[in-house]
Amino acid sequence: MEANTLISGVRHRLIRSGEPSLKEFNSITTIEGLREHLQVAIELEHSTIPPYLYALYSIRDRTNDASSRVIKGVVMEEMLHMILACNILNAIGGKPDISSPKFIPEYPTYLPHSNEAFKVNLEKFSRPAIETFLKIEKPGGRDAPPQSDRYASIGQFYEAIVDGLKRLSAKGNIFTGDRSLQIRPEQFYGGGGGLIEVYDLATAEEAISEIVGQGEGIDDTIEDSNHKLFGEEVEYAHYFRFNEIYKEQYYKPTDTPKSGPTGEKFPVDWTQVHNIKENIKMKDFKKGTEEWDMMYQFNKRYCDMLQMLHLTTNGKREKLKDAVLMMYELKYLAQGLMNVPMGNGLYAAPSFEYVE
Amino acid sequence: MENKEYDVVIVGSGIAGSIVAKMLTQAGKQVLLLDAGLEAGMAFDEEGAYKNYQDYMKSYFMAQAKVPNAPYPNVKDAQSPNVLDMTQINGKPDTKGYFVQEGKLPFASDYARAAGGTTLHWLGTCLRMLPNDFKMHSKYGQAVDWPIDYEYLKPYYEMAEREIGVSCDVSEQKYPNMGNNFFGKDYVFPMLKIPQSYIDKSFIEGMEGLKVSLNGDVYTPWCTSTPQGRNSTPNKKYRYANTAWNAAKQKLELQPFAKESDEYVPVGAIWDPYSGQRCEGNASCVPICPVQAKYNALKTLKSAKKEHLTLLSQAVATEIHIDTGNGNITGVSYKQYPHADSKDYKSGTAKGKIYVLAANAIENAKILLASGACKTSGQVGCNLMDHTVLLTWGLMKDKVFPFRGPGSTTNIPTFRDGDFRKKHAAWISPIDNWGWGWPTGSPDTDLDHAVSTLNLFGKELRTYIGDTLSRQLLLHFECEQLPLKTNRVTIDDKYRDNIGNYRPVIKYDVDDYSLKAFKAAKSVSDQIFAGMGVQDFTNYPSDEPDYVDGFVFRGAGHVVGTHCMGTTKQNSVVNSQQQAWDHQNLYLVGAGNMATLGTSNPTLTLAALSFAAAENILKALK
Repeated sequence: MEANTLISGVRHRLIRSGEPSLKEFNSITTIEGLREHLQVAIELEHSTIPPYLYALYSIRDRTNDASSRVIKGVVMEEMLHMILACNILNAIGGKPDISSPKFIPEYPTYLPHSNEAFKVNLEKFSRPAIETFLKIEKPGGRDAPPQSDRYASIGQFYEAIVDGLKRLSAKGNIFTGDRSLQIRPEQFYGGGGGLIEVYDLATAEEAISEIVGQGEGIDDTIEDSNHKLFGEEVEYAHYFRFNEIYKEQYYKPTDTPKSGPTGEKFPVDWTQVHNIKENIKMKDFKKGTEEWDMMYQFNKRYCDMLQMLHLTTNGKREKLKDAVLMMYELKYLAQGLMNVPMGNGLYAAPSFEYVE
Repeated sequence: MENKEYDVVIVGSGIAGSIVAKMLTQAGKQVLLLDAGLEAGMAFDEEGAYKNYQDYMKSYFMAQAKVPNAPYPNVKDAQSPNVLDMTQINGKPDTKGYFVQEGKLPFASDYARAAGGTTLHWLGTCLRMLPNDFKMHSKYGQAVDWPIDYEYLKPYYEMAEREIGVSCDVSEQKYPNMGNNFFGKDYVFPMLKIPQSYIDKSFIEGMEGLKVSLNGDVYTPWCTSTPQGRNSTPNKKYRYANTAWNAAKQKLELQPFAKESDEYVPVGAIWDPYSGQRCEGNASCVPICPVQAKYNALKTLKSAKKEHLTLLSQAVATEIHIDTGNGNITGVSYKQYPHADSKDYKSGTAKGKIYVLAANAIENAKILLASGACKTSGQVGCNLMDHTVLLTWGLMKDKVFPFRGPGSTTNIPTFRDGDFRKKHAAWISPIDNWGWGWPTGSPDTDLDHAVSTLNLFGKELRTYIGDTLSRQLLLHFECEQLPLKTNRVTIDDKYRDNIGNYRPVIKYDVDDYSLKAFKAAKSVSDQIFAGMGVQDFTNYPSDEPDYVDGFVFRGAGHVVGTHCMGTTKQNSVVNSQQQAWDHQNLYLVGAGNMATLGTSNPTLTLAALSFAAAENILKALK
């Protein structure tokens, strides 16, 4: 891609870490199993979005610029990953399901199909919240084996999917999906990375590399080997971007995951945050009150948006722009909620619950 | 720095300077670029670029008047003009702002002296000039012919359209007397057109079949979607990857994509290529696009070859030095200020084989005058031109919901060319998406009026605002100005800035050619309004800065002329190569070279000319 140096020179896809050793396991063996796992992948990518948005919304306007940018960048990449997973599922003849009542997890929640080592809360921007984000994005390291279920890291889970893709491809063509179902750059843009149309094993692997690379970095090193300049032309993986917030310090180009960040101070003001209630639910409010109604409005819009994404990934790809308009609205509805006092100095926030 | 001799020294990092810098560095030449603006504006790393741009955004949010320069720092050591400083001139020079305005009328346009130049706050309209615009004298007996024609500029227009990233549907582009090969058979723009607004659609319906008479001739005006330098959906049919120097052919060429699967990728923000990949309709293009979906010259500068480019910011070029023997330029003196508004500065001289002034038409003229350069023709600083903008506004019959989308997405090209140019100026009429914002300060002033004058509140207030704001229509009539020797930039020892550099002293007026066009344009507007049932609210108060003969015009921000291109060293400052007649190793670039103005916003043309200049410089460097 030589077209725009501005783009090709800035972002580099990070390379996946674990190459599974095929002797060790053989967990995804049927196309049905593979489709199920990709549906889980879609749910997994989505499950991280409400907690990230919760923290992002809670940051007071025009404060914590650096942290806001990190979380916003990550959340946009999660959206990209979700659509990439849909593209892979569509490519192998599956049907993404984004609108069922069970699609949204009930917070606090374990990550879908994880080893349940930790729970994810909806909580305001804070150290504990960032600590959880670090757990979500934790690199598995070189020796972590692929796991299709009860994984310790998202990377492992995707390695298992890659393994399944390769294994099944070796037996015959599994890329039987209709190409008109693929979301393409015409529909998806400006969202944290380049969208990949998936139609064969190579493009499916490329899509997974994008997901895992953006999330978890490479081989326990924090930068793409082609680059030496810090702060320019290197994209840090989520884990390390969150770690800069957590440690309140930037990485230097010479740093390693082991050393941690040793660069300049990363400015964080933990006090410039709306004090919103943790894991808020609609049932915290009395039905029929204005507050309850505001909660309902947000959740309704959120579910409508998921419904629109469902249509988008099931043949009506031009609907994506309608979903994007709804996303803009969600922010305003969330800001309204954060001005609703609940006593004890706490404020309301969007609960991300399924409503009819 | 002091002792290094570069291949080329460029003054100014706006679109002209950035294009030349990019082309030369990519061809392997060593370039030093001086910019008068603050160091922070030159940050290209993700953090720095983002932080600096957010500072611009903050200034924009805080500014009372959201004028073109509102977001950008106004540094005393490199002041920018500001439209807020322009007032009626009553007998003595107006020295309030950066310009010294001697009159009769104030020159009503400004520009930005900051990294990226005026493209930071340009609107983004990208119209090519028409073939007859280059032949005003032979065709209409007015002004002069250019030494080059449309055909010469055509390949460079294509390069400029790629560099800027123009969104446009070529099949909709229909201009008067454009000939049958204006764009070339298979030409497409890099991106599909920016969607036309709802108000455009209502207006186009209303104009359907409407007849307008002008000077006894009857016209049926038509509308076309406006080509714009803002990102939209990439056009798969567009097949060019970049512009590159072909050393064997001694030419710049558009290079096709290497692979079938390659597609044009919109150039996003300088801090994040995935921000601003599409226009988001933030509607604040002027003064600032929050996501950089609109092109600015920093994108071009960022894609120059870093290894060959030395950037020197906070360095204000003051003078060029001339070898009295052969007329060659031997250096550019600059004053480098350590921090904004500081009284002290460090002096330096930059040296190169070739020198390029790209500091804006008025700034270029100032530097030349301060240096006693390009004296043969006596034309330096003369022929200052702008589009004089006559606004007309009214309420449409139905709600058309303005205040959405980029500034203007549709225009009426009908009066861009025609025999009437023998008598009066041609014009282009953009339809505005921003209600009466420009002439009356809508929507704030509407609210003020409703509350304090009409005493409305509650539901009545909401109804009133909902009704009037939603029906606001604004038309522009952007009239060309002829190059006049008397409209000029000079310098005067009396008027210097914070660090002792000259301030531009401007004499400016409009002649009959423009005044007749105002009358003609107003009559066309009246006929359109009447035909569409638009209730006319246009008024031209006599206390406005540019009130003349019952009309008020405004500046378009198009600063053109001052070192025009021509056919001899007696009648012009630069030759057709954009090389100074008097100094072989000096090239002037930018809108200052334009011999006449035509009816296009000048940025696309000056960008095309900058590619041509870069090619000429590469040839000269061998």
